[in-house]
Amino acid sequence: MGTDKSSELLPGTLDLLVLKTVARGRMHGYGIAQHLKLLSDDVLQVGESSLYPALQRLLLNGYVEAEWGISENNRRARYYTLTPAGKKRLSEERKEFARMVLAIQKVLA
Amino acid sequence: MRLFRRLRYWLQASRHQAELSEELEFHRAMLDDAPSLGNTTRAREDARAVWIWPWLESVMQDVRYALRNLRAHPGFASVAILALGCAIGLNTSFFTVFEAVAIRPWPVKDARRIVRIFSLNTHHMDAPGFSVPEFHYFEEHAHSFAGMIAAIDGGVHFGFEPFGKVTTAMFVDAGHFRVLGVNMALGRGFVPEENRVEAPEHVIVLSFTLWRDHFGSDPETVGRTVRVEDIPFTVVGVAPEDFLGTSQGREDAWLPFAVFPEMNSNQGWARAWVRDPDRPSLVVAGRLAPGITRTEAHAELDGLSRQFHAQFKLDPVRIVLADSTMMAAQPGGNGAVPVLALMFAGVTLIVLLACANVGNLLISRAAARRLEIETRRALGASRARIVRQLMTESVLLSLAASALGIAFAYRLPDLVVRRLGEAPPVLLKPDLIVLAYALALGMFCCLTFGLAPALHGTGIRKQRARLPLRSVLLAAQVAMSVVLLTSAALLLEGVRHFRTRDPGFSFRDVAVVSLELPAGSYNRARITDFTTHLLTELNGLPALQPFALCSQEPWSNSIWELPLRLPGEDRSVERAVTALAVSPGYFDVLRLPILAGRNFDPGDKANTVILVNQSMARHCWRDQNPVGKTIMFMQLPMEVIGVVRDTLDRAEPVFYQPLGVPFPPKVLVRTAPGVVEAVAATVQRLDKRVRTEAKPLSESMARAAAPARIGAQLAAARGVRARASDHWDFRRLRLHRSAANQGNRHPHGAGSAPATGDRARPRRHVASRSYRLGRRILRGRRRRPPAG
Repeated sequence: MGTDKSSELLPGTLDLLVLKTVARGRMHGYGIAQHLKLLSDDVLQVGESSLYPALQRLLLNGYVEAEWGISENNRRARYYTLTPAGKKRLSEERKEFARMVLAIQKVLA
Repeated sequence: MRLFRRLRYWLQASRHQAELSEELEFHRAMLDDAPSLGNTTRAREDARAVWIWPWLESVMQDVRYALRNLRAHPGFASVAILALGCAIGLNTSFFTVFEAVAIRPWPVKDARRIVRIFSLNTHHMDAPGFSVPEFHYFEEHAHSFAGMIAAIDGGVHFGFEPFGKVTTAMFVDAGHFRVLGVNMALGRGFVPEENRVEAPEHVIVLSFTLWRDHFGSDPETVGRTVRVEDIPFTVVGVAPEDFLGTSQGREDAWLPFAVFPEMNSNQGWARAWVRDPDRPSLVVAGRLAPGITRTEAHAELDGLSRQFHAQFKLDPVRIVLADSTMMAAQPGGNGAVPVLALMFAGVTLIVLLACANVGNLLISRAAARRLEIETRRALGASRARIVRQLMTESVLLSLAASALGIAFAYRLPDLVVRRLGEAPPVLLKPDLIVLAYALALGMFCCLTFGLAPALHGTGIRKQRARLPLRSVLLAAQVAMSVVLLTSAALLLEGVRHFRTRDPGFSFRDVAVVSLELPAGSYNRARITDFTTHLLTELNGLPALQPFALCSQEPWSNSIWELPLRLPGEDRSVERAVTALAVSPGYFDVLRLPILAGRNFDPGDKANTVILVNQSMARHCWRDQNPVGKTIMFMQLPMEVIGVVRDTLDRAEPVFYQPLGVPFPPKVLVRTAPGVVEAVAATVQRLDKRVRTEAKPLSESMARAAAPARIGAQLAAARGVRARASDHWDFRRLRLHRSAANQGNRHPHGAGSAPATGDRARPRRHVASRSYRLGRRILRGRRRRPPAG
């Protein structure tokens, strides 16, 4: 993971971003990565080796659910949706993140 | 929830793997030509690691590798597992016994609150208990106790048992099981109405073992009728498996004590027993009431006892309260513990020996695996990692050995006990503590035999090993083998000695005919009557000569003792001396020489004249001629008319009485065709209900030697095992000759130690000690019929 861009994110941020993305509706792994890339104007380029462990971690904790479906180009793909526990987690992490950003800004100001 | 999901993942690991691969493939495909961000294999591994603890997986890997390795060397694996398994099995079997005798708590509710109550008086030194009326008086008036129990022991004959089989029974008060807090396996304990002295009911509670062995664990047993001494009793309950009673021995049936007189109608004193305030033969204990201390209870009982004794004009007694350790095989409550501990040390030595054995095997294996180990190191495995791998193999070995050992421990104690044909006073069944012990022992072995070779084998190879580990292990092995084989040889030699020594009389051609008189209808007088008639009848059969009637045959289990003192001595110095009642033919049948004086005449009456053995003559009269001397039995002077040679079966002082005591007699005859049948026919003519059974006297002798014999067989087995594995080891290691010679010489040398005269004494001690120990463990204590 050492060479991944994502690792330069604040710890735990990737989980937050994935949760937020999935909160918009069911989405497969590639979609999530694309979505992050688009919204961040190519700044956040998440590789498979960070994204899939993160998704597995969220699955293990029960924040997302996965089911197989058919993708836009007619291939089998695994789609993730947010669970109620995930929703709760998302709001908690958002608060925590805001607090962290504020703290960093205070230091930098 | 997390754990649950993790488990579900584990169960479907391969499906999850496939799904992840497919997902990653999809991702890759979508990327098209775009540069991949990261390594797919890595992504899969990392994603998987989320679910599976990496360390656990590496342990599983080690285990799989170790299994493969052991399978690849089945010879090594099976020898190591067998050697360790036998050692652990022996040790665990021993621990099972040790645990049952010394550690397992008494299975009653809150045993610490139960106190045993003694009365010490100068009058009844041998019976520190209480009379029935006194017990009832206590029960009625004492407030310090939540409940009291009382018991008197006795043997009973069950109708369904084979001839002459005496079952240990306890005659108890109605509250026995309730006060002890024992949960019955079936039915119930007694209720107060069943133990009324005026009108006792014929009810019985059976032990679990009896119920299992004789009634096939039939749940319908409660309510059925069993015959005890030819009297029908109704089964009301079955005690739980782990409850063996309140004495140090094992009890197999419980009856209300109010039926005791009926069961013992041949004992004159028993009839009045339930009403006699001066028969302190009940063993009494009580459960302290909540909040009452032992001191308070003592004070109250002391007062009550004084009142009671004043009321019946009896001498006051001293009340002593003791904890319940005297009531069952309990922690520290058994004299066998130190002896067991010593033998335990012996079997532990065997385990160490096995460890040294297997350790040596592992060293030689490590040498053979040098290449493999070097390769793995070259590929980057750390030494710790390789040691862990090797230790995993050791752990597997010792787990397998533990399993084998536990299987052993389940069967071995039982087998040994079955061979002895007696039920031990403890429940020999491995419980969780034993299982844990076997596993812990296995792990200990694993560390002992595995760690050193693992460290040794993975070390950087020096030109010359600084520590000759093999030699150290080998030396330890040889030393331990020598110790074990020497002790085994001594034991065997002792037993051989015990078996082949001349007992002082002839027994090979003698048969014993035992009679069983229906106890219910034979009281004291009728037994004496029957004996007299039988003697007259048998005297009329010339083919039978010589024959004898006697109270106990040689090597008999039952011992009859009478209190004797020299004329002029005070009653307080009376000593219990073994007594035998015999007809004049006794010394003839057994070819037991009378050294001085004369034999009994047919006209001699009991308690007037006696013969003594040499040991008693020495004990009482030192160098003087005992013939013509007098000795006192209670108020009766008895004259010594002769001296008989000592016999091996009873080494203590013994005196012989003329017949006239209320024991069902045994008939001793010289074996010849038709002789035994003639005795049986004569008995049948006198009373059809009397059952007879004939056995060669040598069988009694073999039975008496059985505990020692079994001990020696075990010792021999372990000695042989130690020696066999030595040979195996030597072959395997191909050690240089001198060490091998030395090792071989020692075990053989120890087995054939010259039997010199001055060593006879310690040998006999070993034999008699193991014999006594065997008896002690198996019986708990000896039973003595009450003096007639």
